[in-house]
Amino acid sequence: MKKSLKIWWFYTANSFQQMAANRVAMVIFLFGKIFRIAMFFVFLNLVFFSAKSLGGYTPSQAILFYLIFNLIDTTGQLLFREVYRFRPLLVSGDLDLILVKPINPLVRVLLGGADLFDLVVFAALLVILLIYIPSNFIVTWPFFFGFLILFVGSLLISAALHIAILSFGILFISIDHLVMIYRDLTALMRIPADVYSAPLRFLLTFIIPLAVMFTLPAKALMGLITWPNIMLSLIISYFIFHISLIFWRWSLRFYGSASS
Amino acid sequence: MKKYLTVFHTSWQNEFTYRLNFILWRVRNILRILLTYFLWNGVFLQNNNIIAGFTKPQMLTYVFLVLLVQSIVLSAPSGDSIGGEIGSGELSNYLVKPVGYLRYWFTRDLSSKLLNILFSAGELSILYLLLKPQVILPSNLITILLFILILTLSSLIYFFLEVSTRFVAFWMPEFTWGFTFLTLVFIETLSGMIFPLSLFPPFLLFMVHLTPFPYLIYYPISVFVGTISGISALAVVAAMLFWLVVLYKLSKFIWSRGIRVYASEGR
Repeated sequence: MKKSLKIWWFYTANSFQQMAANRVAMVIFLFGKIFRIAMFFVFLNLVFFSAKSLGGYTPSQAILFYLIFNLIDTTGQLLFREVYRFRPLLVSGDLDLILVKPINPLVRVLLGGADLFDLVVFAALLVILLIYIPSNFIVTWPFFFGFLILFVGSLLISAALHIAILSFGILFISIDHLVMIYRDLTALMRIPADVYSAPLRFLLTFIIPLAVMFTLPAKALMGLITWPNIMLSLIISYFIFHISLIFWRWSLRFYGSASS
Repeated sequence: MKKYLTVFHTSWQNEFTYRLNFILWRVRNILRILLTYFLWNGVFLQNNNIIAGFTKPQMLTYVFLVLLVQSIVLSAPSGDSIGGEIGSGELSNYLVKPVGYLRYWFTRDLSSKLLNILFSAGELSILYLLLKPQVILPSNLITILLFILILTLSSLIYFFLEVSTRFVAFWMPEFTWGFTFLTLVFIETLSGMIFPLSLFPPFLLFMVHLTPFPYLIYYPISVFVGTISGISALAVVAAMLFWLVVLYKLSKFIWSRGIRVYASEGR
């Protein structure tokens, strides 16, 4: 574990240095991110211009859901960006070079390319939340701890889903669209899961637990979820993460070293 | 011409190489329609009134048409490859061959579009039966021809817009995706993909019209549903021709400058 953490730190430092080399790209990327977030606020504004609530939530609550969605989504991308670069390793057979090294290959292919740009977006979102929350909500310490626990749970689910994508990649070589399906599905969570109809809500909670990942942490922050449910969510998150690790180990047995 | 037909054929076959990926591509197309449908359906679920001037059937029809137009206009594998090929030096493989690089990728895009149209026709028919959006089909031949013309222009505008941004790789091979990402964000937010542009405040609407993005999704749909016709439609065609010429010249200019600094790194 200690060795893996040390290696992860080296990968992250290298990745950050590489990305920091081009400041123009960083500015462009940040502008794009901020622009997209701003445009979704325009969308929310248009909705609330005619509707008083969204799934029973007030405009300020809907904004908090959206900000927390962005925080979790950005953290996932910040940590697991390397998953988006997995295909070339598979198609070329270069994954061999990682598998023969005395390190856990999952550390390399899952966490090996942390995204500096997303770290900047993450910091910006934290600042926005620190300004926005005190002026609109009363957050007690228990609410905050509940949020932190569910935030960790969200990262476990995010890691599990990314590991599943990597495993499918090993099994079927080219799975670019699977990553994009994941991105499309997460986009649904920009608004609280309660907005959707019952069957879809069931799917997003129990089949692909995106509601647990994105909606529950924001609810915890607003004190809208009980402690037993928080702990249950964490246990479910850990269980999903554990299953994904088993799936990864199993899929590695089928690695065919294409093109090498 | 024959060599481009071969490229078209090879590209067509190439799409089926990774079958699961192909299936996932189709699943994703259906899913995107359903997800956007669910998003708006959810928004309207507890607000049975009009949202931003649109009734629920009107908005769901718009969403349905966005995905129809999107599957034709924005289907282009060139966008995923050009930057990488320049950055890795693979472009050299094309430069020594008797093919035009832009023509090669345009042919591959056409192949992808045809495949997409064929499969989308089936998928959209099924979704049409399931979701039953109140799509009003064009009633006269002129509107249909105008729609086809505008879709063609939109596809060309998108192609030259894409290649112009990807050619940045000549100068910044490692960070083409930064520009790619920015273009995608603009397309996602300013082309009418999320909601009709007519909902924008007047000033924002004016600013959006100074860009080529509304001509990719919003105007083809407007022509299809008949909200724009006659002189207004001709004005849209004129504006699209203007953007097509500008982006064509721009892509040629960037290519001519870029090829001078191209050093075939990595080869």
